[in-house]
Amino acid sequence: MRYHILYRYMGFILLLNALGLLVSALVSMVYQDEALTLLLYSAMVAGIFGIFPMIFVPSPKQISNNEGLIILVGSWLLSCLLGMLPYLLWGGEFTFTNAWFESVSGFTTTGSTILSDIESLPRGLLFWRALTHWLGGMGIIVLALSIMPAMGAGMKVLYQSEMSTLALDDFQNRTKSSVRILAKVYVGLTGLEVAALMFCGMDWFDALTHSFATIATGGFSTRNLSIASFDSVLIEVVIMFFMIVSGVHFAMLFAAISGQAKNLWRSPFFRYYLTALAIGILLSAVDLNIHKYSGFWEALRFGSFQLLSVGTSTGFASADSAIWSPFTQLLLIFFSLQCACAGSTSGGIKANRIVIMGKAFIRQMKQLQHPHAVIPFTIGRRTIDRDVFENSVLYVVLYITVVFIATLLLVATGTGFLEAFTGSVATMGNVGPGLGSIGSLGNFDGITTAGKWILSLTMLLGRLEIYALVMFFIPKHWKTYASF
Amino acid sequence: MKLRLKIVSGFLVMAIMLILAGIWSIYELNNIGVTAQNLIKENYQSIHAANTMLNALEGEDNGILFLLLGRWEEGRRLLSSSDSLFLSGFDVAKNNLTIPGEAAVVDSIRTRYAALKAIWEKPIVETYKERNIDWYFIEVHRAFQDAKSAVQALQILNNDTMYQTATVMENRANRAIMPGIIAMTAAVVLSLLFNFFINHYVVNPILRLNRGIRNHLDDHKPLEIEVETHDEIRELSNLILTLSARSARRD
Repeated sequence: MRYHILYRYMGFILLLNALGLLVSALVSMVYQDEALTLLLYSAMVAGIFGIFPMIFVPSPKQISNNEGLIILVGSWLLSCLLGMLPYLLWGGEFTFTNAWFESVSGFTTTGSTILSDIESLPRGLLFWRALTHWLGGMGIIVLALSIMPAMGAGMKVLYQSEMSTLALDDFQNRTKSSVRILAKVYVGLTGLEVAALMFCGMDWFDALTHSFATIATGGFSTRNLSIASFDSVLIEVVIMFFMIVSGVHFAMLFAAISGQAKNLWRSPFFRYYLTALAIGILLSAVDLNIHKYSGFWEALRFGSFQLLSVGTSTGFASADSAIWSPFTQLLLIFFSLQCACAGSTSGGIKANRIVIMGKAFIRQMKQLQHPHAVIPFTIGRRTIDRDVFENSVLYVVLYITVVFIATLLLVATGTGFLEAFTGSVATMGNVGPGLGSIGSLGNFDGITTAGKWILSLTMLLGRLEIYALVMFFIPKHWKTYASF
Repeated sequence: MKLRLKIVSGFLVMAIMLILAGIWSIYELNNIGVTAQNLIKENYQSIHAANTMLNALEGEDNGILFLLLGRWEEGRRLLSSSDSLFLSGFDVAKNNLTIPGEAAVVDSIRTRYAALKAIWEKPIVETYKERNIDWYFIEVHRAFQDAKSAVQALQILNNDTMYQTATVMENRANRAIMPGIIAMTAAVVLSLLFNFFINHYVVNPILRLNRGIRNHLDDHKPLEIEVETHDEIRELSNLILTLSARSARRD
């Protein structure tokens, strides 16, 4: 294992972080707030750690799968570690644990927060907080790959590790150009949303930070009451649109924009994703109309926003879902588990795996009816290998196991059952809010210190789709690891 | 990059981080000192003045009670001394307006005290007011409570500001310490990394060079030297290989 090579690649990611911190410092300068010095200092520390390996380590010709994995996971962890510096330096509500939690929540695009008074933070710090979402959203590694000069096989290794394994099956382009396409879609969507939100009346700062959080499906708002503080149907509609779009496979979005919109609708995953959301919205609207809101349109407005927010793992709030009826809350839990499509910035089990398991169930029913028939396992017009199905089932089982264990540990550390379970679901799915005190308008400050560390771990497990993080911490596998 | 530059830059980055952390810590500690000084000057003085005024008001209340009992001399003496005490406290408070809203509170104290003073300045002994408890409770006690609550409002305002300032100071102390802690931690990590790189890119190549030459001389093995970096060590290894090749050709 060439540790120096690993550090060189991770160093580049740290330099990106340093650049992000410098941009945040610029925002601080514009608003003349108190975060300027601490952002500059953090940028300096990140920059020093980033540039250090460049002094010594020459650029390697290629990297192995093992090294790609270590770079991927190591970069995430280092980014989270350095990303907490501005919070630590600010102090206030940011203890060491809280700073780590907030940083991990940012980079994993979860959006769970420990802050009870978000608006008391200086603008520069709020900008950095939102930027961690944006940087984490597409994966720092993938962004780096689109900028760095030809890395050859190394790029492919890192790309395979970063994107959900299901997304790879769909994506036929060469890796380097694929990454550039993804980056263009990502940046393009962000720009469009900024323009749309400013048109709806948001100032540039709020438009930019909320766009970062939407496209990355993160959920950090600059307001204490999240989107509810704007009280604008227009803003909510714009954000809902971009949340839906951000939950779609980015390559398919690019194809749709390039004139192949039919392919988007032909995808069974996309169809299921939209249909599930539509049914969920309708059910929640009816339930909320009966139990909470007197008018159907009011119920539809708040129910649809919250369901979309959770169903795309964004985590914004336009109402307090903690006081809604159990039926709608259970719907929210289901969508927190499922989330959006593979190939997007969303977390969760992914709609694709649900479709695969559903198709497998139908196929199994047919097989039971016709035991001697040869029934291919197809989704759309493609035949799916048995491996894909088995991996999907295994992943779902692992996912639920992790949620269960995390809930158990949280309850053991003194957290209430509702917060423990929904917190585990929300962090594992990188959704953000749970129910109870950690609901859509709540925060995670009341969770115990040990609980916050457990939830930080579930955020990382969810973001790295379990396997990558587990492999990282088993040194034996570094030598024998082949390929995903 | 040249070897000397690599080694110097390693030490340089650590030095820069420590220096900047030191400067920032000194700046924040200085701010803490200034804030503490202002805390005493602005808030504590006003609180002390409010306490003085409250004591004076109690004294005046006692003075009025003495008059009510017909004890003119003791009553007037107490009222006079309490009035002086109150005005001295009031002077400090009115010349120390540092908090938003404090001016309005001081104005309120002035108005209410004037109302109370107007009551005891008029004759009490040998009038209908003497031994008249009803008059005391209806007029005096109400005016006394009004004046007292105005002074207490000043006290509360300054107490709240002191609490907020103390919280700010706590944050500033944290901000003074944190850069130092981060710089020290980073310096330790960087020095470990620096040590690793020096070993990998300077010490190990020299040792390999050494081993290769020794094997060539002792066991007549072909000279094999592998150097990753593009610096003086690579130059040295190339020169040694050239020397060895020339020597072999001559032989």
